[in-house]
Amino acid sequence: MDIISQLQEQVNTIAALAFNTFGTLQRDAHPVKLSPNYPDPPPPSNPTEDPATAAGNVSEQPKLMTAALVKAAKQFDALVAALPPAEGGEDVQLKRIAELQAENDAVGQELQRQLEAAEKELKEVQELFGQATDNCLNLKRPD
Amino acid sequence: MATATYPPPPPYYRLYKDYLQNPKSAPEPPPPTEGTYVCFGSNYTTDDVLPTLEEQGVRQLYPKGPNIDFKKELRSLNRELQLHILELADVLVERPSQYARRVEEISLIFKNLHHLLNSLRPHQAQATLIHILELQIQHRKQAVEDIKRRREDARKLLKESIATLDGN
Repeated sequence: MDIISQLQEQVNTIAALAFNTFGTLQRDAHPVKLSPNYPDPPPPSNPTEDPATAAGNVSEQPKLMTAALVKAAKQFDALVAALPPAEGGEDVQLKRIAELQAENDAVGQELQRQLEAAEKELKEVQELFGQATDNCLNLKRPD
Repeated sequence: MATATYPPPPPYYRLYKDYLQNPKSAPEPPPPTEGTYVCFGSNYTTDDVLPTLEEQGVRQLYPKGPNIDFKKELRSLNRELQLHILELADVLVERPSQYARRVEEISLIFKNLHHLLNSLRPHQAQATLIHILELQIQHRKQAVEDIKRRREDARKLLKESIATLDGN
C-alpha cells in the first residue's frame, strides 16, 4: 500500500483504538457511589463467569489498551517520517513535468528515426540476399 | 414476490445496422458532459477538486498558505490528538457531564488529519507522473542505443562477408 493510504489507515486505527478504549472502560468501570447511605453492591460471586474478568483483571485492561494506543501513535509518527521530502511547490513539479514531456517527445522522435533507418536497411539487405541466392541458384555470374 | 424485469436496452442499436459498411451512416456518440450533471437525482460536478475545510463547515487547525510543511503539521496534529484523548479521560473522571465538547474537539482533529492527508494526493499523483516519464525516457534511450548497436553490428557483418566473398 502506498504511504498515504497507510497513513490514512493508521489514523483510522488510532480512532478505533481510542473509542474501543473508552467504551471498554465505561462498560467495565465500578459503579459510582451516589450517597454514603446506600449499601455497597454485593461483590461478584463467580469471577470465572464474567467474561470481562476472565479476559484479564479490570485494572490490567486499561494498561494494555493505552499501550496499544501509544504504539499506534508512535507508528503514525514513524510513517510521517517515512514520507518522501516535499521538493518545492506545485509550480516546480508542473515545470518538471513539462520538461520531461518535451524530452520524452524528442527521444521518441529519435527512436522513430532510428527504427525507420533500421527497417530500410533490413529491406535492402533482404533484397540483396534474394538477388544473391537467385544468382547462386541460376549459376549466373555476378555483375 | 413479483420481481420487475430489467428495462430493455435503449433502441438506438437499430441505427447502427450498416456500421460495418459505412461508419458514417450511424450517429456519433454523445460528447462528454461538462459542468454539473444530475445522476440518480443528485447533482455531481465534473470538476474533481478537494473542497476546503471551510466549505464543509469545519475549522482548520493547521496554518493556511501556499507551502505547508506536511510532516510538521501531521506530527503536531498527532500530539494534539493524544493530548485531547488524555483530556477526555480526565474529564470523564472528574466532570463526566462535559464530555461533549472534548469529543467534538477530538473529531475536529481527526477531520483535519484526514483533510491534510487528502490534500497530499495531488502532489503524490504528480510525483508518480514524473517518475513514469523518467522511466519511459530511460527505456526509450536504451532502445535507441540498442538499435544503433545492432545496425553497427549488421554493417560490420556485411563488410566482413563482402571481404570474404571478394577474397574468393
